[in-house]
Amino acid sequence: MGDILKLKMKEYFELQYKMTNRRFKDTGFEPLLAYIILTVGFVGLSIYLFYKTEFAEYIFMLSALTLIGKLSETRRTEFLKICFNDTKLKKIRVTENFICSMPFLIFLLYKQLFLSAFLLFVLSIILALLNFRTTLNFTIWTPFSKRPFEFTTGFRNTFYMFFAAYTLTAIAVSVNNFNLGVFAMLLVFATTLSYYSKPENEYYVWTYNINAKEFLFSKIKTAMLYSAFLALPIAIVLVILYPQNIAILSLFFVVAWAFLICIIVSKYAAYPDEMNITQGILLALCILFPPLLVVLIPYLFKKSENRLSSLLK
Amino acid sequence: MITIQNLSKKYGTKEVLTNINIKFDKGRVYGIVGENGAGKTTLFRCIADLEDYEGEISSNSNPIKNRLGLLLTEPFFFQKITGKEYIQLLCNARNIKITDIDDRNIFDLPLSQYASTYSTGMKKKLALTAILLQSNEYFILDEPFNGVDIQSNIIITEIIHKLKELNKTVIISSHIFSTLSDNCDEIHLLSNGSIVKSVQKTDFQALETEMKQMTIGNKIEELRIT
Repeated sequence: MGDILKLKMKEYFELQYKMTNRRFKDTGFEPLLAYIILTVGFVGLSIYLFYKTEFAEYIFMLSALTLIGKLSETRRTEFLKICFNDTKLKKIRVTENFICSMPFLIFLLYKQLFLSAFLLFVLSIILALLNFRTTLNFTIWTPFSKRPFEFTTGFRNTFYMFFAAYTLTAIAVSVNNFNLGVFAMLLVFATTLSYYSKPENEYYVWTYNINAKEFLFSKIKTAMLYSAFLALPIAIVLVILYPQNIAILSLFFVVAWAFLICIIVSKYAAYPDEMNITQGILLALCILFPPLLVVLIPYLFKKSENRLSSLLK
Repeated sequence: MITIQNLSKKYGTKEVLTNINIKFDKGRVYGIVGENGAGKTTLFRCIADLEDYEGEISSNSNPIKNRLGLLLTEPFFFQKITGKEYIQLLCNARNIKITDIDDRNIFDLPLSQYASTYSTGMKKKLALTAILLQSNEYFILDEPFNGVDIQSNIIITEIIHKLKELNKTVIISSHIFSTLSDNCDEIHLLSNGSIVKSVQKTDFQALETEMKQMTIGNKIEELRIT
């Protein structure tokens, strides 16, 4: 019996490995090359992050937990529950979370941030064992009901991130730390970026009676408006308390908007497929060198228009 | 009016639709019947412009899709979007301003709950409500009665009659022949990607008998139930 259980666990992870390789192949990359690029990209970005900001440790932890959190998605967990018994499910989830957090753990250890590494390790295990019930019987209120769907569903999935961002702003004010305030504002934008990471069912594009260009403009307009609605409270507080920093704050705001636009056009440039690795690399390059966005956005906009033109005429 | 001329559709080398020629007039209700895999859904997807195809599909209001209400066999719903927000989304997409969604909730759906938690029948009723509120000219209803309770079946039948009265074009597919014979003016029989028969209301009974004969034959006897 023990052998059967072991074999099934092994098969599960072999299957995950095969699926990951297939995804790489679908996006035109040989798996080995993709693993090398990802490793180099991860190390490069991590070094850059720690070089650039004093909050790197927190951003790093948050990124790791966000990635791990994706594995706890309700439908995925429900599927695993159907396939495996309770003990095996826990083992699988703990192993998955550990594998995902490994690159982050190694880097934190390399940086001699032992407490953070320990905390991340413990949190990744707790997240694997906790049974989140996201299908609650009540509907979470959202200020974005009038123009579904990205911010409507996104807000319900990530509302706690806004609590965290507003709390961080309060802390930033109390300790007189402008940078922390900016980080809180960027956290809001980073959260809204995730609303555009997955392509929607084609029916929700097809049903629009506007052309591709109008569709993209409408998506961008809504995203800018609603992200501003969430980020402005923080920005206003910072402007009032640090009026001398209004220029830098405005710059951050505009760059964050540019990233939001970029992620929208990236999504539709690959539509109906998911964003591919090349786009991911281009976006990563933009993080390193934001002026690239000026070139990338129009390019991806044109590509999106072409992609959507078969559904929107 | 929708006119389909020489419509063919292939998936790779497999031909799914072969030289379809049909006309769907205003103010009439059409039924499409055929076994699983006959090509009904593909035909609907071609009309909706969700597929590339050979041949021509034209209508009074081009592109058709901008005036088409499409009810899918299994409507897709986002997680964490309420019934009301779903309707709002579909109305926004067609630039329809709507403020009285609750008053127009004729199926008494729990609109403030997440649509993804609805039962199969409720999802179908929600999707139908949304396309009705979009003020469409053409309607394609793929299995509209599937999974829906008897009371709602009666309402859907009445809705179809109302759409006909309003001079809309309605195309329905169903695996329950009686729902088609009650609602349709004309039924097209689709088999292996071709329209093999088109029947007017007066001949529905004969078509049903013929289909029964074709489908069942002496299969039941072969079971030798004792």
